[in-house]
Amino acid sequence: MIEYDSVTKIFGIGKKAVTATDNVTFTIADGETAVFLGPSGCGKTTLLRMTNRLEAVTRGTIRVMGRDTMEMDAQKLRLSMGYVIQQIGLFPNKTIAGNIAVVPRMLGWDRGEIRSRVDELLGMVNLDPEIYRDRYPAELSGGQQQRVGVARGLAANPDILLMDEPFGAIDPINRDQIQDEFLRLQGKLKKTIAFVSHDIHEAIKMADKIAIFKDGRLVQFDTPEAILMRPANKFVSDFVGADRALKVLGLLRIRDAMNPEPRNLVQAGEDAPGVLKMMEAQNLPLAFVIKDNRPVGYVHPKLLKYEQGRVGELAEKFPETLGAREPVRDALSAMLMHDITAFPVVDDNGNLAGTISYRQIQKSILDLYADDHEESKIE
Amino acid sequence: MTLFAFLQDNLARTLFLAWEHVWLVGLSLLIAMCTGIPIGIAITRSKDLAQKVLAGANVIMTVPSIALFGLMLPILAIVGHGLGKVPAVIALVLYSLLPIIRNTFIAIKNVDPALVDAGRGMGMGKWRLLREVEIPLAVPVILAGLKTAAVMNIGIAAIAAYVGAGGLGVFIQQGIARSHETMILTGALAVSLLAIVVDLAMSLLERWVTPKGLKI
Ligand SMILES: Nc1ncnc2c1ncn2[C@@H]1O[C@H](COP(=O)(O)OP(=O)(O)O)[C@@H](O)[C@H]1O
Ligand SMILES: [Mg+2]
Repeated sequence: MIEYDSVTKIFGIGKKAVTATDNVTFTIADGETAVFLGPSGCGKTTLLRMTNRLEAVTRGTIRVMGRDTMEMDAQKLRLSMGYVIQQIGLFPNKTIAGNIAVVPRMLGWDRGEIRSRVDELLGMVNLDPEIYRDRYPAELSGGQQQRVGVARGLAANPDILLMDEPFGAIDPINRDQIQDEFLRLQGKLKKTIAFVSHDIHEAIKMADKIAIFKDGRLVQFDTPEAILMRPANKFVSDFVGADRALKVLGLLRIRDAMNPEPRNLVQAGEDAPGVLKMMEAQNLPLAFVIKDNRPVGYVHPKLLKYEQGRVGELAEKFPETLGAREPVRDALSAMLMHDITAFPVVDDNGNLAGTISYRQIQKSILDLYADDHEESKIE
Repeated sequence: MTLFAFLQDNLARTLFLAWEHVWLVGLSLLIAMCTGIPIGIAITRSKDLAQKVLAGANVIMTVPSIALFGLMLPILAIVGHGLGKVPAVIALVLYSLLPIIRNTFIAIKNVDPALVDAGRGMGMGKWRLLREVEIPLAVPVILAGLKTAAVMNIGIAAIAAYVGAGGLGVFIQQGIARSHETMILTGALAVSLLAIVVDLAMSLLERWVTPKGLKI
């Protein structure tokens, strides 16, 4: 846990004084990733650097795991947190293994322990230890170097990770990939992370909570959904952009928007006339055909008219399957591309988890927006 | 008399003078290194101090060597060393300081601030950072400074013959006094050859001690 309590930082004195951080108070809970977001010069880096005392706090208190950082030994404090920066900062005179080993060595781990940890970490960041262990930073691409930077930050398994635009210097395609990898890793490791970014997309993707800053002040501290749907003021809504509903689609998972208990299911073995009758009676434009709890396709009344066979043989196949964990954006994209307004959703094992339709997507977004805007609720 | 014949007749003396020359330069370089490198590192911590020290070393550099010997003579005469090896070594040390201090200072200053930041942020102390990062990265530039000092001092040491320090300058000095052209030529060629050899040797050393990761 990291607690910022009325933290203020002023650089310089007199007329040249710059207030980089202005009376900031918020708490990063254990196992959460908080992204410090805001335009350049709003004080994100300064706040991060005060956390491990690379900068001194002018006023206020920062507590880490309940302890006032000013009462701790600065070096011990830093050894207990991983630190990853945009410039990566790998030591060019040390091998990859030597770079990762820096903190474990300072903590006095023995050689064997360090060696196996280095290999484990390289594996975690998707670099083959056999190939990369003894190479030098100059022999690696930017993306590979930043993977090593992340591994180095995680080396002594700290509970807290401080990251200053860690993926900022990587090209967009690689950045997306390394973000995904890091998310997967964080899913397992559950570190408490302070993550600086100026990119709203990155913030939405990585954050459990986003702290938005303007001129050193904390403007809003909330979940990405809340920031997108209920921006605190014009500054925040401008910063997140006019397309914030679309950004929500990237954030929302299909499992959160889908209908987990759809009524319009029919078994593959059922006869067409019976199904047609049922659909007409209930006025269903479409039914999902299921076999052994797996979706096989869909039927609509027009398809079943004058047919006698089983619906399993008559069903149209879905051009794509959607996973429950995928973002709603992917579902919408599939609907637009294939001109189908509803899709089955499967779990990790390919079993039917529910169905998602265009109307459900719209409804879940409106629900999100309506959470505390009761007056504007649309039914 | 040909150069070859002169060398044949004076081989032992030539080798001795060459050895004396190397000894003068080597000793003063060692002393300058042991003081100049720590000074160069120390002044990276204070901009003010750095300016003063570098300006001071610069002033020494601008004093011609003959003048420096002349200036030191009365002072060192008090302790009975106005002439001989002592003033020579002192002068050579003083001349070496500027390239060594300046290169050390620049090399440490030029270490990428991101590396220093990363190191400090991971919990490295000042000394560890110096030992594991700053100095290894500064080594090539520090060595270039040593090389400059060494090559320059081989020339200045030749002039030190005038204050009785010995070395290959003796051939030049005596040759001029006796109008012995071959002798002058031998001294001059030997000094030049020495400078070339030392330059080459230092270049090899530079390549050898540069951290492997910097050569990629
Ligand atoms: N060491 C420093 N000395 C003086 N001013 C600084 C220093 N570091 C940052 N600042 C100032 O503090 C403000 C916030 O900087 P910073 O935290 O780096 O912003 P961000 O990371 O959000 O871009 C800026 O106005 C910057 O100029
Ligand atoms: Mg910054």
